[in-house]
Amino acid sequence: MLMLSYLLATGITTGALYALVALGIVVVYKATGVVNLAHGELFMMGGFLAYTLHVMVKLPYVLSLLLAVAGSFALGILTDRVAFRPLMKEGLASVLLATIGISFLLKGIARVVWGGKGDFLAFPPLVSPEPIRIGNVMIMSQQLVVLLATLAVMLAFGVFFKTTRAGKFMQATASNPRAATLVGIHVSRVYMYTFGVGAAVAGASAVLMAPLTLLYPDIGFVLFIKGFAAAVLGGLTSVPGAIVGGLLVGIFEQLAAGFIGTTIQDVSAFIVIMFALIFLPTGILGTRGIRKI
Amino acid sequence: MRVVVSHRAFLVVLFAALALLPVVANQYTLFVGNLMMLYIILALGLNLLVGFAGQLAFANAAMYGIGAYGAALLQVRLGFSYWIAAPCGALLAMAVGTLLAFPALRLSGIYLALATLAFAQFTQWVLLHWNTVTFGAGGFPVPQPDFSALGMSPDRGIYYVSWVVTVVLLAFAWRVVRSRVGRAFVAMRDREMAAQALGVDLLRYKAVAFALSGFYAGTAGALYPAVLAYVSPEGFDLFQMILHKAMIVVGGMGSIVGSVIGASLLVYLLEVLRQFKATQEIVFGALLLAFVLFQPRGLVDFAKRCLPGWAEPLHYASDSESPADVTVADELVPGSGGGAPR
Repeated sequence: MLMLSYLLATGITTGALYALVALGIVVVYKATGVVNLAHGELFMMGGFLAYTLHVMVKLPYVLSLLLAVAGSFALGILTDRVAFRPLMKEGLASVLLATIGISFLLKGIARVVWGGKGDFLAFPPLVSPEPIRIGNVMIMSQQLVVLLATLAVMLAFGVFFKTTRAGKFMQATASNPRAATLVGIHVSRVYMYTFGVGAAVAGASAVLMAPLTLLYPDIGFVLFIKGFAAAVLGGLTSVPGAIVGGLLVGIFEQLAAGFIGTTIQDVSAFIVIMFALIFLPTGILGTRGIRKI
Repeated sequence: MRVVVSHRAFLVVLFAALALLPVVANQYTLFVGNLMMLYIILALGLNLLVGFAGQLAFANAAMYGIGAYGAALLQVRLGFSYWIAAPCGALLAMAVGTLLAFPALRLSGIYLALATLAFAQFTQWVLLHWNTVTFGAGGFPVPQPDFSALGMSPDRGIYYVSWVVTVVLLAFAWRVVRSRVGRAFVAMRDREMAAQALGVDLLRYKAVAFALSGFYAGTAGALYPAVLAYVSPEGFDLFQMILHKAMIVVGGMGSIVGSVIGASLLVYLLEVLRQFKATQEIVFGALLLAFVLFQPRGLVDFAKRCLPGWAEPLHYASDSESPADVTVADELVPGSGGGAPR
């Protein structure tokens, strides 16, 4: 029982982080129709930025978080400018190939700046590592903080999306880019912000995750593929779906790790993606697809 | 006098030079030449699948690994001779490649790309963790085939084997793209629906494209243990994926000669940057990005414009083919569940 509750608590915490990564993927996909394959590397850069600011420059945690999010936002906008805007008309393959190019470029830069393969940087914990007991459930206070912060990020994102002008522009563009242009929305600018917001959410999740795990240049792909699994499970176009998908991937992964073996964690994303594509091609909360010619 | 460099002459000169290389080269140059031929095979296979058939799949490195591990493990675990193990490894990769075609029929665009990427990661995981069969992360040494009957060292012997295999596969790819199959690939890539309406059996031709590409990657993989005398999971990781992609993009998507050019140049670059993994990532990432942005048809397009006599028919979609006002976002309206790659 104790083990199960521990696994569930860990699963929910990591799942919430996957949900944030998935959220960024879904927002960009909904608006632009492409998946930014450098999303994981934007996540990784956010984490390293926070590390530099918090551990090396010794800025307070909250300030480093905000600056890292701002940095990720800027990188996201750069991705749009470099890889999406000029290639939008060329089609999906060009955009995917260009974002892969960016992902390796960023990974290489991170390796040069923050150490080579096998260098894992530890991020100091936010609170004391003492576990808290809630009834029968043991939970690390660290996880609780991360979970609450994740919820806060999701809430902030929801408020931004529903209430602000920029958020409404994004919704309009996602639902019909041509009509959005007709009512005077500068669609390509919205695409730019969308890439920025997606990257900012990724950056925030990286900063939240850093104290729980370690930072290393190859972390981006691992998180990206799990975030994508979560997004596909949720239907790839649904924001609530991404959150549910993320939690399911996190819990599934922890249960599999606890009862089968820890190495299974590395392939949980593959298993989920294949399962989702074969049995739930439109996801849990996705809309039924209509294939356009 | 105008210098006439035809694409055929280029290939003949390149392969003649590769054939003569063992006469003058030291062991290291011979190794690089051999590696170049492996990557030419890989790039040819990937270009058939991505450049001609338009299936944006990312599992090439996995097929390469399956071919290499298949050939190496059959020798080490079951005591097969290399000459039996190698074709088995190539055929195994071809079989797995064909199986991948089945999800590919239902998936397109992003879903196909990410599903195959996840498959590549899964293969890497199996190579790393199925210790009882694959020897795990450290890899294992493989005996090189014996060429003493011909009075040659193993390195030299396998070099000539690679040369013959590369020339045969190059000629075969050359024929394939000019056949009914090649035309079906191009039709399928440019407009899947239109191709289907014209009688192109999508299931069949996607399966053929994946099988061919799996066979090419598997063959390169089967040569790998004989060339390096060692196999480890690291040789088939994500970096290989971007390397193969960069080769066909730099050389020219939808071009046979382009695959050869891209593979040759990038292997050379890879060797120059051998010491620094980070530099390799930066350079190859930047190359891929720069070519997609500024020279999307690769070096072969450049050659075609600048060299009279360079007349390889290039099978890329013409400019007028994609209406300028249709953007990715227009095509992929939310809820449409992915779109056809163009």
